[in-house]
Amino acid sequence: MPTAPALDISGIEKRFGEQRALAGVGFQVPQSGIFGLLGPNGAGKTTLLRMLNGITAPDAGSISFFGEPLTRAHLPSIGYLPEERGLYKSMRVGEQALYFAQLRGLDKKEARERLRYWFDRLEVDGWWHKEVSEVSKGMAQKIQFILSVLHEPRLLILDEPLSGFDPINAQRIREVILELKAKGDTTILLSTHDMGSVEEMCDEVALLNRGQLVLNGKVPELREAARDGRYAVTFRDTVMAFTVALGASAELIEVNPNPEVPGEHLAMLRLPAESDIATWVRWISEQVELTSCTPWRPGMRDIFIRAVEHQKQPVA
Amino acid sequence: MNKLALIIYREWITRVRRRAFIIGTLMVPVLLGLGVGLGAWLENAEMEENKVLVVDLSGMITFWDDTRQAYLPICPECFPEREQLEYRFADAALSDDEFLLSDFTSMVLLDDAILQHGQAKNLYEKSPSITAQNAIERDLAAAIERFKVKEELALDYEVYKRLKTKVSLVGEDIITKDGNATGRSIIGFVFSLFMFMQIMVYGMHVMRGVIEEKANRIVEVIISVVRPMELLAGKIIGIGLVGVTQVIALTVLGFLVFQVGGQALEVSGVLTSASNEAVELDFETWMASNDLLGFVLEVNWPLMVVCALAYFAAGFFMYAALFAAIGSAVEQESDAQYLMLPAMLPLFAAYITAVMAIQNPEGQVAVIGSFVPLTAPILMLIRLPLGVAWWELVLSLLGVLATAYGFVLVSARIFRTGILMHGKKITVRELFRWVRHD
Repeated sequence: MPTAPALDISGIEKRFGEQRALAGVGFQVPQSGIFGLLGPNGAGKTTLLRMLNGITAPDAGSISFFGEPLTRAHLPSIGYLPEERGLYKSMRVGEQALYFAQLRGLDKKEARERLRYWFDRLEVDGWWHKEVSEVSKGMAQKIQFILSVLHEPRLLILDEPLSGFDPINAQRIREVILELKAKGDTTILLSTHDMGSVEEMCDEVALLNRGQLVLNGKVPELREAARDGRYAVTFRDTVMAFTVALGASAELIEVNPNPEVPGEHLAMLRLPAESDIATWVRWISEQVELTSCTPWRPGMRDIFIRAVEHQKQPVA
Repeated sequence: MNKLALIIYREWITRVRRRAFIIGTLMVPVLLGLGVGLGAWLENAEMEENKVLVVDLSGMITFWDDTRQAYLPICPECFPEREQLEYRFADAALSDDEFLLSDFTSMVLLDDAILQHGQAKNLYEKSPSITAQNAIERDLAAAIERFKVKEELALDYEVYKRLKTKVSLVGEDIITKDGNATGRSIIGFVFSLFMFMQIMVYGMHVMRGVIEEKANRIVEVIISVVRPMELLAGKIIGIGLVGVTQVIALTVLGFLVFQVGGQALEVSGVLTSASNEAVELDFETWMASNDLLGFVLEVNWPLMVVCALAYFAAGFFMYAALFAAIGSAVEQESDAQYLMLPAMLPLFAAYITAVMAIQNPEGQVAVIGSFVPLTAPILMLIRLPLGVAWWELVLSLLGVLATAYGFVLVSARIFRTGILMHGKKITVRELFRWVRHD
């Protein structure tokens, strides 16, 4: 029997007055991986995340959670770190963590034990008795992250989890997220604008724009599918010699000194669709000293920009 | 602990343990005591040193004493010795220069015209205080009265004093047999005032709490775990319990102050019978026999406290729901001002009516107001010490409860939409739209 997806989102519609926030959005989030929810500002991501958390309800469509229609009864199995997040300033850190943990359904003793582990793991253990107003923004961010994973949810929704962190702490949080993925008990829905993180961590993505799903699939497949005949070529010769040798055999998009190998140049070029790359490499190597030639796969950033810019028509 | 209980507990504990709450609660009886003491001190302090020359031009109230070589009052007891008021008498006025050079602060000129129009001229360099003027007027009136009794009626003044009769009305409700309406209405007013302050202060706490959660963006995490209605209810109940905690603390403190103060007075022996100063009384008997304070013991305190708590609970829920809705519709406290005004108007109207109702708690406005749900929590309390029929109490309280319920339902609709709205100025029309759309 095939495993039910962690989330099966189908035909979701949502209007706020005259504004159509989501227009028939549907996709599946498989279990036990990291799924990226991408989209420019105002694409409808936050509205969708709020629906998953029972904060707002769709006007139409359905959401299944591990094979069951999503209800409030599932909320204890969901962890949520919203993009706009905060803590009570006049409460002590530990007391506040216990409060949220208990709201998530943990009993006090268990919550205390788990908090001890996580506070130690993310190096906030010295802050238990401090008031939130005394801790730094980064420290508060870590506490908020802990509160979203503490109850070991089946689905963890992280909205821009790395924003506000310095590179060291961002890396630490990234490691924790990858570790949760590796354990396989948690499905992670990651909403972010950081395309580096998407490439590094996400298995699959869905891209929303103007309330519609414009792209959905596995990251390597999307990158492969987005290939447009470009190649990255390195050579040991002058740019002039390379340009002359190239002639009309390929379109030179750009050429720059290779920052990693002195004396070498790095060129981006596009071969005509009918060209055979092996033949072309043999031919050009007779004229200039070619050191490498690799097919260029666009990054998620390029895919994102291209997809958003291609969807120009207004949504009713 | 379930989620609602958790929210209630958080709202309650984070407030009652604040230093400001503890100090504020302890300071209320201290400030009240200081207020009373300050009032008494000011009354005495206001009276500066007064040396008054009474010039009896017609010889009505003074005589020449050969042995003392001075004019003395015919009625010495009419001019009692006072700390800051001293009298001298003469039969001729000083010239202006002489007066200015003298150590007299006032010179009162009396002639027999006073018998017709009741006025005497008072000359001074610096106007005496109202307290001093009142004392001088009282003393002169007594002396002139004695003169009139003797000259016009040929009566002995002591006989006249015995004949003189003062009547004061001692009120008693024909049904409840209770008396002292004025004293009781003052107690009612104190309760009303306290209710007004509690609803106002803790209503504002609710509003600030909502604004804090909205501004800090905590609310998004919380309502992903609890329903907005649960959050709203938890917040209102938790903060309401802070108010109840304060009432209980003040009741206990008040009781202790009453007991300890009473015992201290008993030990000091200053509590004596009004008819016989040699008889020392215990505090309760002294209170009961005291004209001014006796009514305090006659008030049905358990009923007052129970009703105050019931009206506080219902009234607070009603107003707190309003304040919470306002808090959820704004980004920061300063934006709330224009929405606060309509919400606070009935509270202020009730307070002003209560002030006016001290003189006449059973007046039409106060009676009607005690049934209008928005003003009832304040105005019913001022009527309560005078005795209110049970059906009136039930009707009024049910009205407040029904309105509170309605307000909570309406407020919840505004709250659940408003708390997630950011960066948009909310209009009253928009609030109505949120309420209409389920």
